[in-house]
Amino acid sequence: MRWLLAGLMFAAFVAIAIFTATLRAENATRRHGLERHTTEVRDRWIELQRLEAVLLDSESWQRLAVAHSRALAAEFERRRGRLQ
Amino acid sequence: MKSGERLRLGFVYGLLGLVPVFLLGWLGYVQVAQAGELDRKGRAPLRLVAATAARQGAVVERTPAPRGSIVDRNGQPLAFDRPVYEVRAWIGLSKKRRASTVAMREWLDGLARDFAVALASDPELADRGVARRKHEERLRKLITREFGMQRLPAGDRALPEGFPRSAELRLAGEVDVLPVIDALRAIGKRRDLRGFVRLDFLPAFARSYPDRHLTYGIVGHTVTEWARQSSGGRELVTFGTVGLEAANVLSRGVGHERPGRRDGDGRPYFLAPPMLDPARPVLHGTLDLELQRIATDELATQAEAGAKVGKVTVPKWGALVLVEVASGDVVAAASWHRDVDNYKSASFTPYQSLFEPGSIIKPLVCAYALEAGVLDWGHVYDCRPHGSDYRDTIRGLGRRKPVRDDHPCQDLNAHGILVNSSNIGMSLIGLGLAREQWRDYMRFYGFGEGLDLPLPHGRVGGWPRQSFDPSTRLKSFRANSAISFSFGYEFQVTAFHIARAYLRMMRGQDAELRVCRGVELDGKWLPAPRLREGGKLSPRVLAAVRDAMADVMSPAEGATGRHAHRLIAREYGIDIHGLVAGKTGTAASMVGIPGRGRVSVRNASFVGFLPAHAPRWLAVCVLQKDDSARFYGGSYAAPPAVRLLLQAERLAAERRRRQESRVAGGQTR
Repeated sequence: MRWLLAGLMFAAFVAIAIFTATLRAENATRRHGLERHTTEVRDRWIELQRLEAVLLDSESWQRLAVAHSRALAAEFERRRGRLQ
Repeated sequence: MKSGERLRLGFVYGLLGLVPVFLLGWLGYVQVAQAGELDRKGRAPLRLVAATAARQGAVVERTPAPRGSIVDRNGQPLAFDRPVYEVRAWIGLSKKRRASTVAMREWLDGLARDFAVALASDPELADRGVARRKHEERLRKLITREFGMQRLPAGDRALPEGFPRSAELRLAGEVDVLPVIDALRAIGKRRDLRGFVRLDFLPAFARSYPDRHLTYGIVGHTVTEWARQSSGGRELVTFGTVGLEAANVLSRGVGHERPGRRDGDGRPYFLAPPMLDPARPVLHGTLDLELQRIATDELATQAEAGAKVGKVTVPKWGALVLVEVASGDVVAAASWHRDVDNYKSASFTPYQSLFEPGSIIKPLVCAYALEAGVLDWGHVYDCRPHGSDYRDTIRGLGRRKPVRDDHPCQDLNAHGILVNSSNIGMSLIGLGLAREQWRDYMRFYGFGEGLDLPLPHGRVGGWPRQSFDPSTRLKSFRANSAISFSFGYEFQVTAFHIARAYLRMMRGQDAELRVCRGVELDGKWLPAPRLREGGKLSPRVLAAVRDAMADVMSPAEGATGRHAHRLIAREYGIDIHGLVAGKTGTAASMVGIPGRGRVSVRNASFVGFLPAHAPRWLAVCVLQKDDSARFYGGSYAAPPAVRLLLQAERLAAERRRRQESRVAGGQTR
């Protein structure tokens, strides 16, 4: 009986050691996975910032044209209101 | 338990207990008794201890501090840092490749080709083939230099001793296109390159300038140079050299360090997330991007108009400035040059190009003289070329050049002198001021002094040393300097100096222009000092000068702004008499131009404000020609400035209406 208990304890120690090693390996693998995802996010963030800068530059004429037409419409409404 | 069993059990547990004792003993032997060092060339020996192992397994990813952003007065970005990668490659040669220089060359050439293909995989490139060839050529040269391949002996042989077996190269900076990043990462993951090629994507920043063509001078630019570190090494440092970019506060961003470890294959994995958007200061400029666009377009259109119709010559340079009178804020500052393709390297004319101001100075002289009590506003002067006042007061002084008017004038009071821009009349007024008063006049309006703006390389201008030299006789001063000063000659200014002088006339002696409204630093708003006023001109003086300047813009015969009045009435259907006040100026000077010596130039200038009787906007326009073509302030410089004033008022009214409608509607639209 004692030998059985001693053997079980030994097996338990070995199992815990293997489990711990597996956990640590899994931990490292997960960290790698997370790092890969983080890298992908960062790559896309950089692309997003670039596209935003390109858009900001290319759209400024349009943006101003829209603002200008809005102003003209408002002025038209104001003058029409005054006439009425 | 039998004694034999106890003995066996004790033996087994004794063995188990010996294991940790042995391990501890072994650890002590290896780490303490056997602790050794590795000699390293030129560096301290490497201690073979646990801390060294931990350090070698640890990695730190450093994200540099981004430069601060610059925004306009409405929050529109003018300059900002956006994240990019700097890609570096570590390349190691395997034993097999070191055994054959031919194989090594082939492998390195193939690597350069693969990198070049990846770097040219931006789908938006106009010609990817050309880009790939350029990258390949550059990378081949880089690899050849780093591995010392140009020194390799001819023929196929093993790599001789003394040649590098590995090298670290900077493949590219400012990598920000996703397909390029993906292509490079794919190379880094290739199985055949594992252990021999490692790519590092280092976080970095690239500067973006939206609407760049509008902001070269005032926003400025940065340069990146190698600088010596205090620890002895060298590092790349980016700093602003021109415009608002030169503000020190923009270099106070916060960098970031991200700790991590390397696995058995040398691949890093990090223990903290990356900081995608690190904190950075924000400098709020006074520029209004929409008005800046209008100013730039107006100035360019006016300057290039002559070339299009082929009637008149094109000016050499031009400047157009718009200032908000209440705050002294420079809301628009446009610069134009003839035959300049790269505005980054050209001077920014509003504060770097000097000119003799000419007649736009006359209202300032009259205001000062009236305030000083040496001018009777109602007094009538004989402004005829050979009139009694000229004969009695000017001719007898012995001035070398006679004083002339552009058009013949008759009897005029100060108001009429300003409206008709009579040089003879102004000389008679200017001669009423003593030399000390002229010096005080210069001080009051800030001529010959720095602009007190955070913009480096600004020009100061001023007058020749002898003008106020005590050794210059008073008669000579009166005959030359006093008369010349009266109608804007014998001293030089920039467009910003003129804007500041008029701001001081309206707001007081301490008024200064502003190009920065404040800074957001660490979440705190630090406003720039508000406009100070100091000693002011009395309201009756200002009213008299404003009335005269309003009449300059009338359609009356002799009024020098009548051309602009007629033009604006035709274009907009607006009568600007009483709405816009202004003063035109035309000056002919001799200036030194590199490569051409001293040449005759003509300046057409205009200063105006709106509304005429309660100024909100102040505009200054200058155009300079380096030939003797006909060129007048009223017909060349006034139209763009008046159009800009009208647009500024229209835009402000539109914004007020938009704000009111937001408040009335109770919601943001």
